Amino acid sequence: MDLALFSLGPTGWGDELIAGLDLTLRLAVTAIIAGTALGLVSALGEIAPVPLLGRLLETINMVLRSVPELLVIFLIYYGAAIALAALLAPFGFSGFFEINRFWSGVLALALIHAAYASEVFRGAFLAIPAGEIDAARAFGMSPLLVFFRIRLPLAFRLAMPGLTNLVMTTLKSTPLVSAIGLQDLIRVAGDAGQNTKEFFQFYMATLVIYLGIAAVVLLLQTRSERRLFRHLRVGR
Amino acid sequence: MLMDASTLIAYLPVLLAGAVTTLELTLFTLVGGFVIALPVALARNAQGSVTRWFAHGFVFFFRGAPLLVILYLVYYGLPQLPGIKETPIWFLIARPMPIAILALSLNSAGFLTEIIAGALRNVPAGEVEAARAFGLSRLQTFTRIIAPHAARLALRSYGNEAVFVLKGTAVVNFITITDLVGAANQVYFNTFDPFTPLLVAGVFYLIIVFVMLRLVKWAERRLNPWAFAAPS
Repeated sequence: MDLALFSLGPTGWGDELIAGLDLTLRLAVTAIIAGTALGLVSALGEIAPVPLLGRLLETINMVLRSVPELLVIFLIYYGAAIALAALLAPFGFSGFFEINRFWSGVLALALIHAAYASEVFRGAFLAIPAGEIDAARAFGMSPLLVFFRIRLPLAFRLAMPGLTNLVMTTLKSTPLVSAIGLQDLIRVAGDAGQNTKEFFQFYMATLVIYLGIAAVVLLLQTRSERRLFRHLRVGR
Repeated sequence: MLMDASTLIAYLPVLLAGAVTTLELTLFTLVGGFVIALPVALARNAQGSVTRWFAHGFVFFFRGAPLLVILYLVYYGLPQLPGIKETPIWFLIARPMPIAILALSLNSAGFLTEIIAGALRNVPAGEVEAARAFGLSRLQTFTRIIAPHAARLALRSYGNEAVFVLKGTAVVNFITITDLVGAANQVYFNTFDPFTPLLVAGVFYLIIVFVMLRLVKWAERRLNPWAFAAPS
């Protein structure tokens, strides 16, 4: 391995790679937070006793879980510009929209994340023992209080393993946004490879970085599960 | 903004050709992934600590690495390995399709290993002991008792993994292969309408997923006939 390739400054690609990693991480974190929140809302909509709403959300999520991420990314990036222009055309607008690549990528990944998270949250809400709810109601808690003090915390605990798995999935989907021209980690590594003809080294470095992040997420997963389920541990 | 029906019909062959490529990639990857995953799964459950560690490493590596990174490593990295261009394997794989199938299979094998190994572990020990007591050899026990039972246990997860394989094939667009997504993009560049081709491609994917899940249901019925038998 040639360390000079990875040095900072004008001769090495170290600073460019760090900028790419920064974009990848910002994209992933934004998409994961937005997607988890959206997934929670969607799950509540799915289990709410409102006719048709549940069916509608289920269908949307099913579609988002069945088509490739790349298709959703393209549809949002290309589609948003044209849809906006068409919407404004009746008001005398004639021109092009430059849609923000970063937010297109975030929106696409967040929607897909939400489609999976919704499934996880729904399962968690349905798995809450009825006795807990009955007990809370018997204590005189209002339905809203029951939701915030009993149902939501319990659901989060039950959903945690599934949610951390989704964090990994979305993290691994982030390189796909390079298809719409975002200078993320893998795109920068590709540019560096193109320039130096050392593709193998740069993609290997990318791989190591992604595996490093995966290891950290796995560690946090076991830590958080141990904390969340410590009441179930036997002994000690 | 939206294309009319006749334009869509004119471009339908392009989309269908893309769909065929996607289906080819999916099928070859399902076979390739299984061929790689089975020995690794056996190693994962084996007694030896070296084989177990190897299997653990394999699973961590291919589950933790993004598919696109694996694809790029194989596509751009493999030709840089010294001496590889003299070997006969090179002749076989120096095209985008085999390289894509190799990368997709490795990625899928990472997930499949866990599914297969888990199913094999969950075959009740009593069944294995009974088979051995009947005088079946170890190989016979595996092929007649363990494998069929494990197949039943793994079927549901395998169906989900197959859907992930289908979705994963879209990365081949990054290495110049035109699959269903690529075909939809081509139609967009020719017609300036992104919605119709991408949504039609989406419908194609939904149909494929639907057929896959139906096949899993069918296999489930075949493998567990008693669970679906009509009450007498």
